[in-house]
Amino acid sequence: MKKNLITIIIGAVLVIIFALLLFVFQVRQSEVAVVTTFGKPVRNITEPGAYFKWPWPVQNVYKFDKRVQNFEDKFRQTLTSDSVLLIATVYTGWEISDAKEFYPKFLGSVPAAQRALESILSNAQQAVIAKHNLSDFVNSDPQQLKFDEIEGEIKAAVQSQLSTNNYGIKLDFLGFKKIELPESVTATVFTRMTAERQQIISQLQNAGEAEASNIRSAADRLAAGVTNNARADAVRIEGEGLAASISALKIYQQNPELAAYLLRLDALKLSLNKQSTLIFDERTPPFDVFSHLPTNSSSSNP
Amino acid sequence: MERNVQKNAVVNLLAAVLIFIAAFVVTIFANSLAGEAASVFLGLGALVAFASWFQMRLEENERLEKLELDELTREKGGSALFDAKESEVFPARRSREQFEKFFVPGFAVLLFLLQASGAFLLWRWIGKTTNGIVDARAMPSLSLFAIFALLLFLLGRFSVTIARLGDFRLLRPSASFLLAGAYVCAFTALGIAGVEGKILQADLWMARALCILLGLMAAEMLLTLLLEIYRPRIKGKITRPLYESRVVGLLAQPESLFTTAAQTLDYQFGFNVSQTWFFQLLQKNLAYLILAQLAVLFLSTCVVFVDAGEQAVLEHFGKPVDTLTAGAHLKLPWPIDKIYRYRTEQIQTIYVGYTPETGKDEQNVILWTVAHNQEQNFLVANRATATVQDENTDTNDTLKAPPVSLITVSIPVQFQITNVMDWAYQNGDATNLLTDLATREVVHFLAGVDLNDLLSHARLDAAQTLQERIQADADEYKLGAKILFVGLQDVHPPTTVAGDYEKVVGAEQTKLATILNAHAYAISNTAMSAAQAFTTTNVADATREELEISAYARAALFTNQIPAFEAAPSVYKQRAYFKAFADATANSRKYILLVTNTQDVVIFNLEDTIANDMLNVNVPNE
Repeated sequence: MKKNLITIIIGAVLVIIFALLLFVFQVRQSEVAVVTTFGKPVRNITEPGAYFKWPWPVQNVYKFDKRVQNFEDKFRQTLTSDSVLLIATVYTGWEISDAKEFYPKFLGSVPAAQRALESILSNAQQAVIAKHNLSDFVNSDPQQLKFDEIEGEIKAAVQSQLSTNNYGIKLDFLGFKKIELPESVTATVFTRMTAERQQIISQLQNAGEAEASNIRSAADRLAAGVTNNARADAVRIEGEGLAASISALKIYQQNPELAAYLLRLDALKLSLNKQSTLIFDERTPPFDVFSHLPTNSSSSNP
Repeated sequence: MERNVQKNAVVNLLAAVLIFIAAFVVTIFANSLAGEAASVFLGLGALVAFASWFQMRLEENERLEKLELDELTREKGGSALFDAKESEVFPARRSREQFEKFFVPGFAVLLFLLQASGAFLLWRWIGKTTNGIVDARAMPSLSLFAIFALLLFLLGRFSVTIARLGDFRLLRPSASFLLAGAYVCAFTALGIAGVEGKILQADLWMARALCILLGLMAAEMLLTLLLEIYRPRIKGKITRPLYESRVVGLLAQPESLFTTAAQTLDYQFGFNVSQTWFFQLLQKNLAYLILAQLAVLFLSTCVVFVDAGEQAVLEHFGKPVDTLTAGAHLKLPWPIDKIYRYRTEQIQTIYVGYTPETGKDEQNVILWTVAHNQEQNFLVANRATATVQDENTDTNDTLKAPPVSLITVSIPVQFQITNVMDWAYQNGDATNLLTDLATREVVHFLAGVDLNDLLSHARLDAAQTLQERIQADADEYKLGAKILFVGLQDVHPPTTVAGDYEKVVGAEQTKLATILNAHAYAISNTAMSAAQAFTTTNVADATREELEISAYARAALFTNQIPAFEAAPSVYKQRAYFKAFADATANSRKYILLVTNTQDVVIFNLEDTIANDMLNVNVPNE
């Protein structure tokens, strides 16, 4: 009897659990639920709590995450209006706005909804980018950037499509996650960046040489000035010396003949040096003493 | 009694077949991996139930045949009837023997093949498939598997009891399979419940466990078949059906394990351990103990311990009602109240522009020219190039280098969860969204800043600006996170062109060196010219002094020479002449012609001759 009572209690507990599983369901704060009766959506539950339902197969409950879903699109190559190839990817935040519409359109599948969103997004993204120049995306003047406007245009285009066809989802936000260049263009950018660096290197080298040349020439000019001034001073000083020596010339005037003779002798001494070759005959004093030497002919004469 | 057993066997067979079909349909409906394994198990159970029922019918026919023969023997006595061959007299017995001799071993081999291939193929399928339970169908499938478990449990328990009480060996295999099938269905339901409770791997784990069970059954069947070859055949001895699985029996009646353990203990200790009061108490109250354990497990869900650095959101029937901080808390049992934990104190990091390479040797030197992570390139404005490009806007080549540059940035963004409610309920994947927002802000910022500015003076402000922008985004999208730090320490040109940037630095140094050399030359030149000027003026001073002094000295000399001249004018002049002549010509080459014949022509070769030793110098060949 005791064993039967335990069995009955366990059985009853199991039955209650199964009944609860079949008749009651919970919806979390982060969820939205659609209740279908024989496949037809009849209730949309957005508030959290425990709810009653008829067991399967009469009623089914489909629960979805009602929080903002993050979806990141693929990288897509697009041509801007100024013919620059860009590769861009956008991220979006979307949420289920109407679960009753969302469920039948995507069979409750979030991946299916994201696939549909991806197509719409791709179309809008390419169309909007093609209307803008590269300078709207990248510009050294931040005031010229149109990032926010472009994102707004894409978002408006996507939201318009979603609303028109009543997908049951809405786009909360959209932004560019990455903007890149195709590999071939990236290579050309690298080449150009390298050339820029080479240009700067050349500028630096030439600027260095030019400045060095300027410094050298300035130094030369300064040195020449100093030297020339010194030479001028030297001439002036020598002139002063000469002027001072002129007063002594009056002494020579006491006997000009003797002075002239002595000056000639000084000039003679100054004009002869080691390399001079002089040819004298016997009449030139003091060599004239040779003329009075006895010769063989004169000595043999009586 | 025999009739009732047969009815029981038929009911078992029908139940096994129907529940197998139902379980298979539910499995397809829910896409459950554990359900697939459970269906294979239930299918094997249906085959075993059929075999045991068929064998039971053959034995019953044999028994009826024997009864009829006994009746005829009593009525007619010895007759020609017994002269016939035995096979003609006992066709039912003959059929039963043929069945046991050929069909049963063949059926056992078939079972082994099904079990082994089922285990192998299912294991492989589970490893490959990416299918998961369809969310919306989880709850109905769970309920149905629970119902299957309940039905199989009731029927299996009843059959097992009948088989044990009446010692109906042929009822035992199907009864054990039904009871074990109940547990398998319960396990499957648990797996689905786990998935429903966000333990996504639960269904997979259950499927793996059931594959292992099938593998064990296959191994046991193989061993049984091998042993059957060497089993001694004793006429009249009732044998155990070859297709009856001991593994299934153990799973169906775990209490038999208790008995086996008791016998082992008795043997090991040398006295009846199983007769002690403790063992008896344990054996009698095992069910209560298990129930108490389950009750404690259930009640344990009423207590929550939140660790340091954590916050937990308490949900009551799915509605968040409180945020629990570190410490012990009471709550209503699962599934009424549930908690979700978040590490709010932990400083978490997301990475923008690079993916850290974990497991790679840490680099001690971080260079621009060596990629130190999986780095990404970002577009950045380039003022100089834009100016040049504006002058050449006619070109329309899509592959031309656009007026932008590329830069590599590695930016770690550290954050903390400050509002757990916002973090948990506003966005499906808040961390991912924060990464997207941070990346977007970095892309946006770089697109509007000049490359050279960023590499130099704008760098300091960039980190602060980015932190403010990312924080503003996080607040706008209600992430409930505080941005603590944005690191901009690793910003440099891509490694492909980084070497050229280093060359620019080298060129700047070369330029400085050239200028410094020029300055050195200027200093030297200035100093030398000053020295030369000083020398020149000094020489001039000396010359002046010489001029003055010598002029006065000469004048003084002349003053003294006048009296001498006046005293002997010709002699003085002669003396002065000869003295000056001797001094002046002392070092000169002199030729003195003493000619007597004035008609002679004397020719002098006055060419300079090169010294003899200079002609003997050997000039080395090139």
